[in-house]
Amino acid sequence: MRHAILIPALLSILAAALTLSAQESGEDVEIILRDLNQRPQLRLAFPAASYHPGLNGVYLEAARELEETLRADLDLSGVFLVQGPAELAVLQLTGKRAHDFEQFRSLGNQVVLYAELKQESSRIVLEGRVYDLASGQSVLGKRYRGEVDQARQIAHRFADEVVAQFTGRPGIAQTLIAFHSDRDGFQEVYIMDYDGRNQRRVTGHRSTSGFPEWSPSGDVVAYVTYFTASPTIFFADMKTGRKTEVYGQGSLNLSPSFSPDGTMIAFAHADGTNTDIYVCPRICTQPQRLTRARGIDTNPAWSPQGDRIAFTSDRSGQPQIYVMDRDGSNVRRISFEGDFNDGATWRYDGAYLAYASRRGNKFQIVVTDVISLASATLTHGPDSYEEPSYSPDGRRLVLTRKRGRDSQIVVMNADGSGMVQLTHEGRNFAPDWSSWPR
Amino acid sequence: MLKMDLKRMGVAVCVAVIPLLLVSGCKKEQPVTAPPPPPPVTTAPPTETVPPPPPVTPASDMTEAPRPKDLSELQDEFERQGLIGDVFFDFDKYELRADARDRLAKNAEFFNSEEGRKYTYTIEGHCDERGTNEYNIALGQRRASSALDYLTSLGVDRERFKTISYGEERPVCTESTEACWQRNRRAHFVLSGRVN
Repeated sequence: MRHAILIPALLSILAAALTLSAQESGEDVEIILRDLNQRPQLRLAFPAASYHPGLNGVYLEAARELEETLRADLDLSGVFLVQGPAELAVLQLTGKRAHDFEQFRSLGNQVVLYAELKQESSRIVLEGRVYDLASGQSVLGKRYRGEVDQARQIAHRFADEVVAQFTGRPGIAQTLIAFHSDRDGFQEVYIMDYDGRNQRRVTGHRSTSGFPEWSPSGDVVAYVTYFTASPTIFFADMKTGRKTEVYGQGSLNLSPSFSPDGTMIAFAHADGTNTDIYVCPRICTQPQRLTRARGIDTNPAWSPQGDRIAFTSDRSGQPQIYVMDRDGSNVRRISFEGDFNDGATWRYDGAYLAYASRRGNKFQIVVTDVISLASATLTHGPDSYEEPSYSPDGRRLVLTRKRGRDSQIVVMNADGSGMVQLTHEGRNFAPDWSSWPR
Repeated sequence: MLKMDLKRMGVAVCVAVIPLLLVSGCKKEQPVTAPPPPPPVTTAPPTETVPPPPPVTPASDMTEAPRPKDLSELQDEFERQGLIGDVFFDFDKYELRADARDRLAKNAEFFNSEEGRKYTYTIEGHCDERGTNEYNIALGQRRASSALDYLTSLGVDRERFKTISYGEERPVCTESTEACWQRNRRAHFVLSGRVN
């Protein structure tokens, strides 16, 4: 926090308080997009990493992957405008600090990051250093050691430290995304790194399983599976791989969402005819009913502050987004445009809900300020975008992009820019972004 | 005069640079053409050994039990004879259309017959692909329930029935056409067991 060069910029962006109407006006959209676009951009010089002469073979390969990953992480963090070796090539660098710092500054940089890579017995080592170019002071020095197959992990760790140094909150390079896919023949739950790497299967029920939801601590992924007689909520323990039934009574159990302290889940449950929102402790014997409307109430999302639950209800005749207090009281409608809205996800501060809103016969991702109800549409074009989930820092959204029968997981910045596809194998759905690792 | 100033400036720069060099411990001149070396190590930060990620083991999960083959064959036979059949719904709706009520009346006749009373049934609710996957599971549940409620009103014994929704997860056809979508917006009747 000492070197929080970025904080004033962020605060001024966040301070753009919204007092707006419920309609999506051009002015609202502009203000919301500015608020969402926390891409502020501290200018960081990252010259070519230095490779120790002893690095050879798989160690050299791992070191190269580490540097490449670190560059991608810093870029994806949305916090830095990174100048790499290509941009810095115009400079006359001598290895003398004061001289080189002046050189980096001449291109507008505010900080410089040096990475040194070496081998220690059978391990790879990263020494990373960050300097404030204005004061010349060292801001951060870190040394990591790991196996060659942990190169990406080491880079992610350091990147998150660097982000934390300038924003007061860690980056998201070590977070994970859960989703479901039919790539192995059945619909099963999978997880992947935040950048789409290391896609691996979590369940093997050989039935229909999906709609995963991370617990806040990441110890379990809750999901729904049909391998039992009716849709049942299960937990997958992420350390042991063990699957535990949580609740399978009645005809339908769906859309688990954890309370921020991780002790409770909210979910949709139908005894007979009607689907309503219920809450239950992790050891769930008698769920407590929160909604009593005649129509469908489903897909709850517990707010990050724990005080509210967003959900989808067709009480008005069409599925729309609502918010209620955690005890079921004080229900208020959030979405007013589009004839089918579903899949609400909270930003970390509880200020915004993003959700899928049908416009014509495609869905687009819409974000609404839950106090002023001002809205902005984040996606456009001929594809259908559904099932958004915020990254824990609120800077990114992961979502499902449907194109005919094809369905893939994509990520984008919180203002809808910079979309990148993460999955390519089979059909993929229902991404859920994890919290920070604990 | 100008020369003097430059000299003074030069001294000032040296004074400013030398402490930095001393602190950094870098004493050797580098040739300008050499690639820039990393900043000198003053004190190495403590090493963090990165732990390996936990393994994820899906291998031994419980799986879905296959439906008895004789029930599937019987079901096919009953459907072929027109004794039971699917009922269809409008887009985004779970209210029963007139054609759905007619179909349900025929199904009810069979469910109440001597043969039909031998079995238990599952009513599956299904949806087309145009809603969101998650909401469609709740919608399919209402479709199955609407069908069951109407059957009950026709005197069918509710105890022999259960409902389940697959939303859009298990479609009968996968083209993006209205004909295909209509086929997927349905309640489907499945023989699930025998009455003991």
